[in-house]
Amino acid sequence: MSTTTAPTTTPKKSGGLFSLDKKSRKILGDPLSENNPITVQILGICSALAVTVQMRTAVVMSLAVITVVTCSNVVISLLRNHIPAQIRIIVQLSVIASLVIVADQVLRAFMYDVSRQLSVFVGLIITNCILMGRAEAFAMANPPGKAALDGLGNGLGYGIILCTVAFGRELFGSGSIFGVKVVPQFLYDMGYVNMGLMVVPPGAFILLGLIIWAQRSMTGYTEDH
Amino acid sequence: MSENLRVIRFAIIVCLICSLMVSAAAVGLRDRQEANLLLDKRKNILKAVGLLTPGMTEATVNETYDDSIVGLVINPDGSVVEGRDPADVDPEKEPDLMFVYERVDDGNVTAYTIPVSGKGLWSTLYGYLALDADLNTVKGLTFYQHGETPGLGGEIEKPWFQENFVGKKILGEDGSLRSVSVVKGSAADKYHDPRELEHYVDGISGATITSKGVTALLHKDLEMYEPYFSKLRSSGGKA
Repeated sequence: MSTTTAPTTTPKKSGGLFSLDKKSRKILGDPLSENNPITVQILGICSALAVTVQMRTAVVMSLAVITVVTCSNVVISLLRNHIPAQIRIIVQLSVIASLVIVADQVLRAFMYDVSRQLSVFVGLIITNCILMGRAEAFAMANPPGKAALDGLGNGLGYGIILCTVAFGRELFGSGSIFGVKVVPQFLYDMGYVNMGLMVVPPGAFILLGLIIWAQRSMTGYTEDH
Repeated sequence: MSENLRVIRFAIIVCLICSLMVSAAAVGLRDRQEANLLLDKRKNILKAVGLLTPGMTEATVNETYDDSIVGLVINPDGSVVEGRDPADVDPEKEPDLMFVYERVDDGNVTAYTIPVSGKGLWSTLYGYLALDADLNTVKGLTFYQHGETPGLGGEIEKPWFQENFVGKKILGEDGSLRSVSVVKGSAADKYHDPRELEHYVDGISGATITSKGVTALLHKDLEMYEPYFSKLRSSGGKA
């Protein structure tokens, strides 16, 4: 619509992830930083604290959430004109719960070791406010394509923070990344010790707080009361 | 009224589709999941007796298991139930039966593995304890299923914790069962007598209750298998 005023470098083309029009890019990009579900909306904190001791679990958890939130957004968006208003929350919940169970079963079948480490937290995706929030706030009012982008964006926004926290926690808490030792032995010999605090949930709180602070001072976001 | 009917009809359709999806996933993936569970069990038995090497494929795990592990079913009084295989016993129907997995090398039993389980802090811990042929020295301990806090109680699945048990003795000097206990902090700081130290391993800091759970479950399960083991000891290998 505003092809004359947009001085973007990306010409408007159809298809391809990097040739999205401005609005779609905003839907996808906003949750990555300016409207990040974890750091700005403070949603999904429980799992962000629980599964971020190691990178591996954080990555798998992020992938699971990205998949589930994208699919649930699409399904709910497809149904949005048929869902009776009285039971819309429970319908959203049923869709999300079913997708989460399927994701859990798939993990158990194909990534047994990781699914064992994630234990209950895959199941708890159901109660992750990001999913219900996106279903209710976005998918109920937008067509499937946009809802998919919104889900993808929010899932990625969640995943980025999760992996950042996990990176810090595994590096400082266990001296490794993806289970591979990265802190050289001579540092330990010189008296370096892993930070026990990073392995426990309070460590995640502190890291997450620092990330939120850094991110908000970059975007200039403040909460008004 | 017709509006209500519409709502109910919609709810029923959603429920049906969701339940179909969930059951399809559960049934469709069940074989793979059960194969994973069995493989994991076998891996852990092999690990306890020291036969698991990193990077073993599913096929080599099964092959090694079939070659070297013999499963036995044991009665609570310590006698072997002939003609039964642990894989065919449903523990829910016959909770009294116990299992021993022998590692057999060239016809000689070189290790005995028993399943161990008990409460930790948040969850039940499941693992295997392997004893050397002398039925006194610990050959290995593994935990394969638990819901403890990663980094704290979850450390029980880490090699550093499990390796501490290797070489410890379950029998006291008088030959009675003493088992192995997890202490708070470092065992070597507490017990200077090497004979005492044989019964203690280092604890996990920040996971006192899980550590106590490990101590308790080892005592309990070794007690349970003691009738069988003492028969073996007195007869020199045959029960």
